[in-house]
Amino acid sequence: MRGSKASTIVFLSPWILSFLVFSAYPIVYSFFLSLTSFDPLQGHPPSFIGLSNYLNAFRNPAFWTSLKVTLIFVLGTIPVTTVLSFFIAALLTEKIPFRGTFRAGFFVPTVVSMVVIAMIFKQLYSPSGYVNILLRNLGFHEVSWLENPRTALPSIMLMDIWSSVGYYVVIFLAGIQSISKEVFESASLEGAGWFRKHVSITLPLVKPVLLFIIVINGIRSFQVFIEIFVMTRGGPLKSTLTTVYYLYDEAFYRFNMGYASAVAYILFMIILVFSIAQMKYLRMGKID
Amino acid sequence: MAGPGVSLKTTGFILLLLFLLSTVFPFYWMFVASVREEGSIISNPGDLFPSEITFRNYVDCLKSGPFGRYIVNSVWVAVWVVLGNVILATMAGYAIARKRFMGKRIVLATVLGTLMIPKQITMIPVYILMSKLRMIDTYSALILPFLVDAFSVFFISQYVNSLPEELEEAARVDGASDYGIFFRVVFPLLKPALGIVAINSFLVNWNSFIYPLILTNSENMRTLPVGLALYSQGEHAVDWGHLMAGSTISALPVFLVFLAFQRQIIAGMIEGYGR
Repeated sequence: MRGSKASTIVFLSPWILSFLVFSAYPIVYSFFLSLTSFDPLQGHPPSFIGLSNYLNAFRNPAFWTSLKVTLIFVLGTIPVTTVLSFFIAALLTEKIPFRGTFRAGFFVPTVVSMVVIAMIFKQLYSPSGYVNILLRNLGFHEVSWLENPRTALPSIMLMDIWSSVGYYVVIFLAGIQSISKEVFESASLEGAGWFRKHVSITLPLVKPVLLFIIVINGIRSFQVFIEIFVMTRGGPLKSTLTTVYYLYDEAFYRFNMGYASAVAYILFMIILVFSIAQMKYLRMGKID
Repeated sequence: MAGPGVSLKTTGFILLLLFLLSTVFPFYWMFVASVREEGSIISNPGDLFPSEITFRNYVDCLKSGPFGRYIVNSVWVAVWVVLGNVILATMAGYAIARKRFMGKRIVLATVLGTLMIPKQITMIPVYILMSKLRMIDTYSALILPFLVDAFSVFFISQYVNSLPEELEEAARVDGASDYGIFFRVVFPLLKPALGIVAINSFLVNWNSFIYPLILTNSENMRTLPVGLALYSQGEHAVDWGHLMAGSTISALPVFLVFLAFQRQIIAGMIEGYGR
């Protein structure tokens, strides 16, 4: 016997209730909303308009801009973050003094609020900030990093890489440490150099971890929002208008909640397809 | 020339040191900017070792800005969310691991599926629901959606699975009730896992931004991240000294919690990747 039915229900009910109210119902309701025109400030209930919101999104240049910006963000940050965190993790597996301190130090930005990080970098990137002070001392011109449409997005991407590398270092480390030491020893005996050893031995062995990191980082990067909210609000000239910022703007500034729900669903589908594609690849990677 | 092993170690060490400097520097910069006079930030912005230190920015920030209130809000919400996860989510995780019931597999799959739902898809309905319930701008809006986190449920169920069942069986033979077994026998056994759940839900909640942003609209109900983000935008003139003091106030509890529980935080984050 494993106890009464009643206690099972009591134990499970807080989660079930929370799931129904804050996950299941919202997912269904936001699909319904995406088929309606709805402005909560008007006092009318949502009115059904079919697929118009989806068609409007696909006809809207701002929506396409937001997809483009998001894609640049995702494709630009993921390779750098992945490569950097892999090699830092590989370095950390060597018998180097203060390994624990290094690992902890790299991890700190991942526990600090993105709002705080964005605030610090907004200051560092500002015309009188430290980045420009360095440039001036080296004899270069100052750059208005966040006010220039050409540099704003790359500046935010750089900050994102900086803030997330430590997290992936720790996950890579866990993966690398599960590889048997003998593999490395025999590689060293055959005269493989450090770089060679990690690229041709470690990397294939941690392939599942590698692909997992790409999926997770992808899902996270498709949702980039706080950095944009704090630093640029989508500007200058929409150069940092990510899809989630666009969706937030439509939902909570313009109160086009039906339209915003459609944008949310499109994004949801993109993330889903991206993850499934990666998972398929991940499974293939395990077979060969 | 040193041997290849030694030179590799030295280069590696130097590279790691450089990376570490780059991670630490922005936080150091934040702190330095927060303890300098406003005038000196403008006249000599690159000074990394200010000779005069002042806590004026902190005093101003707490007095003129509503940062004191933000701290109270953040702490109050975090206390409830941590308690909720430690008790309610743990109950569910325990039931999933130990009880037999119909649809158990579906429940576990649902928990895992919930972890993958992006916030953007749920935030508009939750906002509409909260405004219908007249809960916008109340603590309920900031607490209720986060009381039972799917990650906590999943984490606890995995942990319970790894525990032997003998103690629970013995207690049952002695006539203990299901609730008695859970609170007196299981709870103490779960201590390490509860620590991870508590720390993780604290960190996630303390740093959470988009929900508190949309679910509050008065200055008095903002949490620290929301207050800090909006403080810099229009409502108050941009004053870097104040902003860096506010940032330090927001980050300080996290730094302290990290210093104290580094091991558990890293373990929890590895388990809960993707959050």
